[in-house]
Amino acid sequence: MKLRSRLPHPGNVTALAIAALVAGSFIALATVDGGKPALFSIGPYLIRVLAFSVIQAGLSTILSLALGVALALALARRRFFGRDVVLSLLSITMVMPTIVAVFAVLAVYGRSGWLAEALGALGWNGSFTIFGYPGILIAHVFLNAPFVARITLDGLDLVPAEQWRLAASLGFTPAQTFRHLDWPVLRAELAGLAGLVFLMCFKSFAIVLALGGGPSRATLEVAIYEALKIDLDFGRAAWLALIQLAICLFMMLVLDWAFARPPATHTMRAQVRRPDEANRRLKIIDALILVGGGLFIAPLALSVLRGLRNIFDVVDADLLQAFATSAAIATAAALVACGLALSLASAARRRMISRSRRLAAVYDFLPNSLLAVPPFALTAGLFLMIRPFVDPAMAGLILLPLINGLAALPFAYRYIAPRLMTTEERYGRLAASLGMTGLTKLRIVDWPVLRRPLVASFALAMALSFGDFGVIALFGGAELRTLPYLLYERLGSYRLDEAAAVGLIIVLAAFLLAHVSGRMSHAAD
Amino acid sequence: MLLIESCRLTWPDFTANYSLKVPTGHLCAVVGPSGGGKTTLLHMIAGFEVPESGTLAFAGQDLLPLTPAERPVAIVFQDHNLFPHLTASQNVALGLQPSLRLTGRERALVTDMLDAVGLSGFDQRRPGEMSGGQRQRVAFARALISGRPLILLDEPFSGLDPGLRRDMVQLVDELRRRRPVTIVMTIHTPEDVADLADQMAFVTHGEVAASGTPADILQGPLAARVAASILDE
Amino acid sequence: MLRRLLLACLSLCFATGIAHAQAKPTLTVYTYGSFAGKYGPGKTIKERFEATCSCELVWVTAEDAGSLVGRLRLEGETTKADVVVGLDMNLAAEAKALGVFAPHGADVKDLSLPIRWADDTFIPFDWGYLAFVYDSTKLANPPKSLKELVENPNGPKVVLQDPRTSAPGLGFLLWMRQVYGDKADDAWAQLKPRVVTFTKGWSEAYGLFMKGEADMVMSYTTSPAYHVVAEKKDQYKAAAFSEGHYLHVELAGATRTTKQPELARTFMVFVLSEPFQSAMPEGNWMMPAKTPQAGLPGAFKDLVQPSKALLFTPEEVQQNRRAFLDGWLNAAAR
Repeated sequence: MKLRSRLPHPGNVTALAIAALVAGSFIALATVDGGKPALFSIGPYLIRVLAFSVIQAGLSTILSLALGVALALALARRRFFGRDVVLSLLSITMVMPTIVAVFAVLAVYGRSGWLAEALGALGWNGSFTIFGYPGILIAHVFLNAPFVARITLDGLDLVPAEQWRLAASLGFTPAQTFRHLDWPVLRAELAGLAGLVFLMCFKSFAIVLALGGGPSRATLEVAIYEALKIDLDFGRAAWLALIQLAICLFMMLVLDWAFARPPATHTMRAQVRRPDEANRRLKIIDALILVGGGLFIAPLALSVLRGLRNIFDVVDADLLQAFATSAAIATAAALVACGLALSLASAARRRMISRSRRLAAVYDFLPNSLLAVPPFALTAGLFLMIRPFVDPAMAGLILLPLINGLAALPFAYRYIAPRLMTTEERYGRLAASLGMTGLTKLRIVDWPVLRRPLVASFALAMALSFGDFGVIALFGGAELRTLPYLLYERLGSYRLDEAAAVGLIIVLAAFLLAHVSGRMSHAAD
Repeated sequence: MLLIESCRLTWPDFTANYSLKVPTGHLCAVVGPSGGGKTTLLHMIAGFEVPESGTLAFAGQDLLPLTPAERPVAIVFQDHNLFPHLTASQNVALGLQPSLRLTGRERALVTDMLDAVGLSGFDQRRPGEMSGGQRQRVAFARALISGRPLILLDEPFSGLDPGLRRDMVQLVDELRRRRPVTIVMTIHTPEDVADLADQMAFVTHGEVAASGTPADILQGPLAARVAASILDE
Repeated sequence: MLRRLLLACLSLCFATGIAHAQAKPTLTVYTYGSFAGKYGPGKTIKERFEATCSCELVWVTAEDAGSLVGRLRLEGETTKADVVVGLDMNLAAEAKALGVFAPHGADVKDLSLPIRWADDTFIPFDWGYLAFVYDSTKLANPPKSLKELVENPNGPKVVLQDPRTSAPGLGFLLWMRQVYGDKADDAWAQLKPRVVTFTKGWSEAYGLFMKGEADMVMSYTTSPAYHVVAEKKDQYKAAAFSEGHYLHVELAGATRTTKQPELARTFMVFVLSEPFQSAMPEGNWMMPAKTPQAGLPGAFKDLVQPSKALLFTPEEVQQNRRAFLDGWLNAAAR
């Protein structure tokens, strides 16, 4: 028994392994030039880029959260035909390849986009341009707000049925309902969500360059990319990546401090009527939010359907092989993400039980901070680390699932960790009194609660990996060609229409995964 | 008098049809197998479920057209009764004033009520810092302070250990003598309330199969079925 | 189901790996994605080379020229590449500095390049001029010179690539330097109001142009040939600029670390031979480094013929790029 307790918890090992991987790859990058770490100073150029990155990411985050939360509340209050499909659609924008998103924004808001056409048909003959902040913000809100809505809605669904009945019985007004039932959920979710969205926007760079309109509209990631791919100055890339990591960590600390997490009282989902459903003013507000949000998101999402025209042209052996490769990599990545999330979350839980909240917060932080690491730099660093031991031809096979899995980890963690905490609050004492620990506890106590969030995060991780074009850019190949890789390959051969079709296939695959996971996570116990 | 007459509710896999009378001021304990429709009966009285047909009235007032908030009913659940972000006194105050904007007199009432349920000095505690029994006391205080004459308790003590359960039942009995309320409570362990309840109803398969004094139910011809259904659990 | 798929895929990967090891010798050629893609010349070249070498040619791809050099840098001595096809002049100095390339030993006389080729490490396999492409149905009077484009405040709107992340983007930065010299930064400030945006890569910029966001896009003189041949559309033209056009030359090199130097050398010679060169125009949409005997396809004969090829040497690029970029950043961010 004593020996057993001395064995390290798998979560601790995972946390250490991740930290070591990241640190190791930084060191490998920084010292590749014969061991002398590159000297590096922050000049006015970097200051400007940093300032812009922070401002655009901050604005994007605020707008995405505002729209996402409004949509979530409106969707929570309303039941309508096709709601299921809308919920699944919410999960797909985030996994769109960035170039698909850029083209979607232009198809709707561009110089000859739908909006310009519609205005023209109404007799308006001015011109407008979305390049600059409008374009960047539209794209970022389009990509992130639906995801925010989805996660928030999941959280709202977890409010205990008893509390809804209590609200009905006590006669809560809509404002009181918001204050006592919705706001505690939002407060619990907002810090993490804001952190995720901020990071995604802070790092976004193909979108920022394509829609920004000028070289001053660039993020730190551009400088990292430049150092890695144009200057081949790996040392500088490592230092820049470190700066990015530091800023993002600081941002997450601030958010975490600003939104202290209230204790959770999650329960199983229950279909309960909300007392504020009947409020007439809210009906109007919700209708406005849903229609407004729909008008913003639907055209952008629908523009992706343009790929439909060429969908039969692209179905060939190449595509099927790329699809299979994508699916295999996505599966492996999802396994990595879910495994890591599970072990980290259970480590965080152990810390919570033993009342060391600080340490628990460290585990909560780790997945999110991974998002701050530039995938390109991480890939390069990891490659340098494994180079002595692994045949470079095999490196892609190892790195692709690993990096994609790490990239999906923060999202998987968001699904899994709260549920694991819930089972602890409910059955923790019982399990302890029965002497259940480790795998036994996982199997008997946690598994029934975790099954559905695990499936949901597995599907999301797969979808994210499906749309990813970070690592594959470096390690693609004749035999290692994923769907996004095929998309860029077609673009490079002037085949814009076929690229659109491939983009559509990626989005459809993500939609199916989201739908399946939505079904699974809504199924009755 | 709480009057329930042929109240019918149907779901694809379950049908209920309740008839029951509880005189004003009585404590009625509802017993029966789980899945038999005990909780549904309470939810119907509270207004969370609406019967398709039948009569539901309290003190001569038809309850059916009323929303849950408009009914003279307060309810305590088995679990999740309290909002975790509010203190004990705030949770109690919700029964008085959902906006939580209290006058000085109301604040004093809340403190009194916490004293009455044996939680003096717990005002500022949050649910996470209290035991299960203490949380149920807070919930009960909230039901009482609302001044609603009909109180529903849905297996309020089933999470507690036997000694504590007994204390809680006695607390309920004591408080209802201080201010006349009618109480309908579902309970897993009839022996806890056998000597306190005025009335006992045996609910199974969505119907009130029998109703009478605890002695009638626990020792009459139905006794074997009641015991069997409870032992089944 | 998914697990089975994964297993199948992994075993396929292993199986092909083992098959390679046992059968004929394998020549591993690194190139960029679209070269070996469905519409690229990769398949044709593989067939034609394998018909003569009794070996197997395997394409290994990275996204673009920058990724290729980055990957070589990472792999260093352990690289599996025997030959690399698809570097460009602006990366040539960096690539050479990696020290993984061997002298090519091929005959580079009589090339149909606008410049004389003397490099002994890399051989050029195709080339083109940078040019602004426009839709002649929408833009009737394109500028006749770079100066006209830059200095006319009411000129057409253009979409460019970011020189920090893209090869044609860097190419245009150098073109501006060639034409304006030290005054290039002022020229950038003048042009800036009519630049829609600087995209990450060529694909985004060309996509933006095709979606109608700009009147002209930075691309190659050979781009219109694609639209004529593949789409039967002749409205897309490249604007001829009187100052001359910046030259873009794509390069191939054999590695020093190859286990099959003979085979690699054979391939390097093959690169400048008829079977390879004839696949360039309508496969890679670039001018062949050695014009095939049958001449150029029709669509390529009508292309813009610049009066002068503008070019910095790889060493000049390596030395000045940082300064050029900083100047551009300051001017274009104003």
